Amino acid sequence: MTEVLPEPVTTMPNPFRMDYTYVAGTGRSVFLRGLAERKLIARRCAGCGQVYLPPPEFCSRCLTELDAPFELDGRGVVSTFCVVSFPFPGQRIDPPYVVAHIQPHGAGTRLMHLVREIGPEDVHIGMEVEPVWVSDDELGTSLLSIRHFRPVHKGGADA
Amino acid sequence: MTADSLSAPYTVEFPFERTVGPKIGTFLGGLRDGQLYGVRTARGVLCAPLEFEPETGAETGELVPVANTGTVTSWTWVRSRPGDPVPHDFAWALIAIDGTIGALFHAVDAGGDSGRMATGMRVRARWRAERVGQLSDIECFEVAS
Ligand SMILES: [Zn+2]
Repeated sequence: MTEVLPEPVTTMPNPFRMDYTYVAGTGRSVFLRGLAERKLIARRCAGCGQVYLPPPEFCSRCLTELDAPFELDGRGVVSTFCVVSFPFPGQRIDPPYVVAHIQPHGAGTRLMHLVREIGPEDVHIGMEVEPVWVSDDELGTSLLSIRHFRPVHKGGADA
Repeated sequence: MTADSLSAPYTVEFPFERTVGPKIGTFLGGLRDGQLYGVRTARGVLCAPLEFEPETGAETGELVPVANTGTVTSWTWVRSRPGDPVPHDFAWALIAIDGTIGALFHAVDAGGDSGRMATGMRVRARWRAERVGQLSDIECFEVAS
């Protein structure tokens, strides 16, 4: 049988899209509201000593309610990082740029954020970084209130 | 205390395109032309087609036109949401196309009445007027009396 077959299709769109409502919960809402005031708010577990940033309501190890919120200054160290070299839809910054896991001093957890004001080739694990906050009119209940982290320049001694 | 919780809309989106390969590509080309195709295998004509026979791994053979009617082998009733193929509640179903092996996964429009759904029921493809070479060129299957 000689059938004239259709002209083949070569690609098909395979969009993947899901719309959620993100509910932060009481604990993380405290953290998010702090960001709108340039504050990084942590909480400690009385049971095991773990300090969470951002803090949930209950320790994920002990399931105990965490102690009262307190503020950290946001300085910390890069615990790991990657250089994003690949463009993708929705990207806010032109690659290459650095996304790092940052462990703030005094916290037992890590935040993920951009590390800028330094070339990607000069970023290294263990380097000290500090948050750069957005201007007052851009502040909100979001990690975007921190524009990025940047290397800490040691206070004037070798300036 | 949940009233104290912040919430915000949150959308995850990956706008992929995928290459489909020659067999599925021809199948999709058939959809664009308003004709379902299956692919020959040692066990019979497989629809929807695959590049390789899932039981043996052997390469499948030529594509052949098949009927646009079939039998529901399994189904589940769902509420219609934005973006769904049917504007009222409907069924997602596995449909054994007549004269083929395998099953095609698609929507069945039972007029919003789940009581009309049954395994073994007969259905027919409802084609869109404007077709582009995607599975959605079949709007859905409808109950064939
Ligand atoms: Zn604990």
